[in-house]
Amino acid sequence: MSSFRRKHVALRGSGLDETKSAKQELAQGVRPSPLDGRLTTSTGTNSLDRLLAGHAGLALGTSLLVEESGTTDFGGSLLRYYASEGVVQGHHVHVLGMGDAWGRDLPGLGESSKVSKKETASEGLGALEGPVLERKEPSNAVGRGGSGVEENKMRIAWRYERLGQFGLKGTSTSNSGAIFCHDFDLSKRLTLPSPSLMYFVPSITKPEFEFRDKTTSTSPFNKFLNHLVTHLAANSSATVHRVVIPNLLSPALYSSDDSRPESVLQFLHALRALLRKYSTQLTAMITIPVTLYPRSTGLTRWMELLSDGVLELAPFPSSAIATKSTPGASTIHEEPPQGMLKIHRLPIFHEKGGGGGEASGFGDDLAFTLSRRKGLVFKPFSLPPVEGDSEAQQGGIEHDHGKATKVDIDF
Amino acid sequence: MSSRIPPLLEPYLSLPPEASLILLTSVLGASSNWLVLRFLHSILVGPDPAPATQEDEAKVVLVSFMRDFAFWRENSKRLGLDLEKLATTKRFCFVDGLTSLFLPKTLSVRTGENVLSSLELAAVSGEIQRSIQSLKNGHDGRGNVFLVIDQLDLLLAAGGDQIGEVRLGEMLMSLREEVHSVILALSADYPLVSANQTPLEKDHAALVLNISHQADFVMSLRLLDTGTARDVSGVLRITVGDSIEQAGQDIQRRIEEKELLYFVGGDGGVKVFERGQ
Repeated sequence: MSSFRRKHVALRGSGLDETKSAKQELAQGVRPSPLDGRLTTSTGTNSLDRLLAGHAGLALGTSLLVEESGTTDFGGSLLRYYASEGVVQGHHVHVLGMGDAWGRDLPGLGESSKVSKKETASEGLGALEGPVLERKEPSNAVGRGGSGVEENKMRIAWRYERLGQFGLKGTSTSNSGAIFCHDFDLSKRLTLPSPSLMYFVPSITKPEFEFRDKTTSTSPFNKFLNHLVTHLAANSSATVHRVVIPNLLSPALYSSDDSRPESVLQFLHALRALLRKYSTQLTAMITIPVTLYPRSTGLTRWMELLSDGVLELAPFPSSAIATKSTPGASTIHEEPPQGMLKIHRLPIFHEKGGGGGEASGFGDDLAFTLSRRKGLVFKPFSLPPVEGDSEAQQGGIEHDHGKATKVDIDF
Repeated sequence: MSSRIPPLLEPYLSLPPEASLILLTSVLGASSNWLVLRFLHSILVGPDPAPATQEDEAKVVLVSFMRDFAFWRENSKRLGLDLEKLATTKRFCFVDGLTSLFLPKTLSVRTGENVLSSLELAAVSGEIQRSIQSLKNGHDGRGNVFLVIDQLDLLLAAGGDQIGEVRLGEMLMSLREEVHSVILALSADYPLVSANQTPLEKDHAALVLNISHQADFVMSLRLLDTGTARDVSGVLRITVGDSIEQAGQDIQRRIEEKELLYFVGGDGGVKVFERGQ
C-alpha cells in the first residue's frame, strides 16, 4: 500500500505548479487554498476572504471588481484595507490614479494585530483567522517542539499538508509570517516602511488647461501597464504584487477619452493577461462607480466579464441608518447594516461554471457594516427582531416608525 | 470516458456535421467554459472508448480571447484530455488571444504557441488560418479540423472602430470555409443584446443575432430565473436554428429543442438534468 502511495505522489509532483509550490518557501501573506491548494492572499478584510468561494482568500492571478452605487465610498475603504494588507505583508502595491497622499491615508494596524505579533504566532492565528483555522490549534501545539514537527509531517500525507489546514507552515515560517489577514483600525494611519513598496501612477499627467494634441499624450492605462510590465519583469518571481485601482473611469480622475470602450476594455484585457501570466504573483482590486456607469450598459458588462470577481455594494440611504441607530437600546451589540452586498461573480468558482461552492455565499443576502475597529464586515443579512414588544404596543407614531424601517430594509 | 459527457447532452455534443456552426452563449455568472471543454472532449476523444481510426481523427483549433492555455489545460486534464500531448501529435492547436493582444510589445513572444498580438483583423484571421493549415497538413491531410473560438466578441468590444460587426462576420465566414465545423462562444448578457444604445451594444447585438441565425443550433446558458439554488448552477436552453429546420436533414432527428438544468460541481464534474428530476 505504502509503495503504491509513493508512486502516486511522485506522479502528482510532476505537475508544474505543484512542484513549484512545494519546493518554494511561500511568500509572506500567501497561503494555499484549502479547496485546491492554489495560492491565495488576503484582501485585508477577513469576512471578504471567507466569501471567496471557499478559497479563504483571493487567489493569486485573479482580480476583483467592486461596484458601488451612490456617493458613499465603502469600496474605497475595501481598497485601503487591501492596500494596507499588502504593505504590511511586504507586497508591492501599485496604485493607479491616486497620488502619494492616498498611500499616507491607509488604515494602520489595530491593537489586536500588534499584540499578537509580539506574542506567539499561533495565538495570532486563532484570534484573527476565525473559525476556519480554529482547528489548527492542537497540531500547532505539538508542532512547536522540533521533533514534533517531524513526527507530524510523517503522519500527515504531505499533499494534505500543502492545503494549509494544519498550521505547520505557520510555525515553520514563524514570526509574523503566520498572520494571513491583519486587523486594521480606521482611526490610525499606517506608517509606511521607508523604502516604500508602493508605486503611484497618476491618471492625469498634465494640467487640464494645457491644450495639446491628443496624439502626444499617452493614456494613463498604457503608462500603468508599462509600469507593471517593467516592474514585474524586474523583480524576482518570489515577490507578490497588488494592483489597486480606485474609482476607475471616475471623471474626477480620468479624461473622457479613457472611458471609450476600446480604451478601458483593452486595458482590462491587458491586465487580465498580466494576471494570468504572473498567476502566482499578482492580484488586482478595482472599484468603479456604477451610478455613473450603470450595470445595464454594455460597457460595464464587459468590464465585469473581464474581471474574475464582481461584487456590488449597495449602501442603504443614509436616512435609514440614522433612524435605525436612534432606537438604541435593542441594537447595542449588533450594529445595523449599512448596505447590501451582491455577489455577481466569484474568482475561479464561476470561471468553472459555478455551482458546488456551498460556502460561497453566492446568492445569499449579504449585508455589510463598516466600523472603525472591525473594518468592513460582510455577514448574512437578517431582518432585525421586531423592536421590543413594548414599543410595538405603543402604536401610533412609534408603530409607523417601526414600519418605515422595515420597508427600508426590504431591499 | 463517455461518462464525462452528461448523457442528456450527448446528442448535441457528438461530432457536428460538415459546415455547421454551433453557438454557445453565456451570461455573467453562467460561463460556457464547461460546455466548451465538453465539446473539446467529445470531438477529440469521441463518444466511444475505442480509438478512432486514423482517417476520421478529428482535430481542433481552439482560439481563446479571454482565457489562457493554462486554464484550458488544467480543466481538460480533469476530463482526461491531455491537450499538450494532442498538440504534439498535431491534433490540437491553441491560438492565444489573451496574453499579448493588448499588452505593450516589450514582452518576448513565446515560441511554439500561436499568439495573437495585433488587433488587425487580417492578422488575427491570418494567424488562425495558419494554425488551421498546420493541423491540416499533419497526418497526410486526413481528418477534419474543427474551429472553436472562445469569446470572439471581445475583439468587437475592445477593438472599437477598427473592427466592425460586418467585417468580423466576414472573417468568420472565410474561416468557416476552411474548417469542417465552427463552435463559437459568445456573451449574451441582457445589456449586451437588448440595450442597443451605444455602438458597443449595437455591434454586439448585431453580431450575436447574425450568428444565431446562421447557427445550426444555439446552446444558451443563463442563471436560474427564480434566484439561486444550491444544486443548480444554471439553465441550458437548446434552440434549433433556421437552417436545420429548412433542410430537414437527418440532423433534425438528433437535435431536439430542450431546456435543461445543469450543475457544475466543485471538482469540475457536470450534471445535466431536466426540470423536476
